[in-house]
Amino acid sequence: MRAYPLTWRLLDVLETGLEKVFPRRLAGITPYLMLAPAVLLVGLLVLGLFQVADGSLRTLDTTTFLMSESYSLDNFRRALSEPLFRNVAVKSFAGSLIVTAMTLVLALPYAYVMVRTKSAALRKILLIALFLPFFIGQVVRAYGWLIILGNQGLVNEALSFLGIGPFRLIYNYPAVLFGLIQYMLPFAVLMLAPAVTAIPEETEAAAESLGANWIQTFIHVVLPMARPGFVGAGLVVMTLSLTDFAIPAILGGGSQDFIANAIYDQFFRTSDQGLGATLALLLVAAGSTLVAIVFALVGTGTLQMGRAKQ
Amino acid sequence: MAVAETGLDRLAVEGPVGSTAVSVRNVNMVFGDYRAVDDASFDLQEGKFLTILGPSGSGKTTLLRMIAGFQAPTSGEIAINGIPVGHVPPNKRSIGMVFQKLALFPHMTAAQNVAFPLKMRRFDARTIPARVAKYLDLVKLGGFANRRIHELSGGQQQRIAIARALVFEPDLLLLDEPLAALDRKLREEMQLEFRRIQRELGVTTINVTHDQREALVVSDEIIVMDKGRIQQNAKPSATYRQPSNSFVAGFIGVTNFLSGSVTDVTDSEVAFIAGTQPLCGRWVATDVRPSAGQSVKGAVRAEQIRVAATPDRLDDLQTTVAGSVMDVIFEGERVVYEVRLASLQDATIRVFDHDPSQHAEFEAGARVFVGWNARDVLVFAE
Ligand SMILES: Nc1ncnc2c1ncn2[C@@H]1O[C@H](COP(=O)(O)OP(=O)(O)OP(=O)(O)O)[C@@H](O)[C@H]1O
Ligand SMILES: [Mg+2]
Repeated sequence: MRAYPLTWRLLDVLETGLEKVFPRRLAGITPYLMLAPAVLLVGLLVLGLFQVADGSLRTLDTTTFLMSESYSLDNFRRALSEPLFRNVAVKSFAGSLIVTAMTLVLALPYAYVMVRTKSAALRKILLIALFLPFFIGQVVRAYGWLIILGNQGLVNEALSFLGIGPFRLIYNYPAVLFGLIQYMLPFAVLMLAPAVTAIPEETEAAAESLGANWIQTFIHVVLPMARPGFVGAGLVVMTLSLTDFAIPAILGGGSQDFIANAIYDQFFRTSDQGLGATLALLLVAAGSTLVAIVFALVGTGTLQMGRAKQ
Repeated sequence: MAVAETGLDRLAVEGPVGSTAVSVRNVNMVFGDYRAVDDASFDLQEGKFLTILGPSGSGKTTLLRMIAGFQAPTSGEIAINGIPVGHVPPNKRSIGMVFQKLALFPHMTAAQNVAFPLKMRRFDARTIPARVAKYLDLVKLGGFANRRIHELSGGQQQRIAIARALVFEPDLLLLDEPLAALDRKLREEMQLEFRRIQRELGVTTINVTHDQREALVVSDEIIVMDKGRIQQNAKPSATYRQPSNSFVAGFIGVTNFLSGSVTDVTDSEVAFIAGTQPLCGRWVATDVRPSAGQSVKGAVRAEQIRVAATPDRLDDLQTTVAGSVMDVIFEGERVVYEVRLASLQDATIRVFDHDPSQHAEFEAGARVFVGWNARDVLVFAE
């Protein structure tokens, strides 16, 4: 008998065992079985969402600090009309759009160089720089920026040597946007890199030999061909920054609240769970609408789901 | 019509002498300590179809990429239409290139692909649609203008790539094995199509392939490369009939090599002994002459050997050798016999038999005689 590799024989044993437990004619339902954990998880979340929806319809009795027994749309009226919440919503949405645009602009050259560079050392450095922030965590990084940008921070110290400053570099809107962009950049690069890898170098060479200079090649070939990556990265960055909590809280110092901060305040400061739940529901609705709009505009096909195109 | 008889065999080109479209002078390409292209020199006349033929890794693509301008040679000079292009970037050279993987733009329609070079090269926008239509017609895809690339078949994609490379009327067309991925029938069809289009437009073309049939069918000239060196630069018939060395002889066609040592040298012929079998052949190299006792190999093509049951059937041939059939391969239009020759130290040779009425006359194990003429044996130094 030929001696097959051990792994083959092990697989044979496993396969016979599997056949006993899970006959082949049940193979049709295997994909659904594999989906089951995900469905279960999402199902639990949806159950939670019902709970939240229930809460959003009850108002807080400020004398007893109990939620009302009866349902009303009071919370929604407050959330949509009070200037405080409108302010927070505008800040979050405008912020997430700016952050998305800036992050994509910065991420593409990074991803492009990382994928295309001929220097293995440079690629390694770029990759390490990309993954390092993931080990540090969002809160620690935000505090790091406080140390660097604070009134007595590194930047202002350096400026004072030049006789200028100190400038107020934190606890304002630009500081929050800056922190978010810095936080989102690795996510965007990670999602753009495969899209750039999928563009054959030959295609760029072809564009060049057909008369395009590198700017034209970038605009007419690289950008459109990287579109699936853009859509994916854009969606991730937008939803993550729209719902972010730590960066606005720490770098905004309470003055630059995003929606998540407002929800936190309602749940844990004013203890108005009804209003908190309402804000949470509105955020879910707005986020989903945003994603739906993007899908409607560019089509889910651009995420390269469904049948792969050759 | 003037015929160029330069005497230099490798430059002899029939037909009117055009101006030199491409001139490659002592070009080298070194990657680290690996010499991918080794001192390549050749000239190509305007309007000619040149094929660079060679095995995988012989440096064909590297040579082509240097002509296109994607890589700068380590040393040497390339001139297009007499102008050195050392510092001209690819987008400023007038070269249309068809890549091995075609490199069509998947996010554009067929027509947009073809229009791309015209837009990049700032052709008058009003003339672009007519020009695109003309070239789509040229490649017989007039009705496919608005198809996306992935909605086209492999052969149709080839045609779009050709149209895109030609639409701006480049001085030079480069083809880097664009047919390698196609099945044989479609490939042969496209080879003739390339030839037709090239003749119709008269564009100077350099084609790269490792398919010897393609090289013989489509080319005016063939450069055979091996290990980065140009082995021969000649017309297809010369490449086939007068290979300049044993590599070329072995690479093109089915060639049998018979190793032996020289016994006698006359003006045009070399006598040598292989095993116990005395043989005779033509000495090919003109610069050196063989000496007695030197190790040589004689190359004889499978179609120049005949096989028969008795030696008297081979009376008209100068050399006859007894052998036994080892294997019989039926290939449709011909039968290939593998014959072992005892007197040549059991060397196995391949013989084509084209006689249609007697397909597979012999069976494996049959005792046969094979024969050939001395002029069909080309003798090379071992
Ligand atoms: N950028 C590069 N760096 C290092 N070595 C290279 C590079 N490009 C090519 N080579 C080497 O040079 C040699 C010639 O390569 P080339 O691509 O020109 O071969 P080819 O004749 O086109 O082969 P094929 O028929 O397989 O396409 C190969 O050994 C290859 O490994
Ligand atoms: Mg190649």
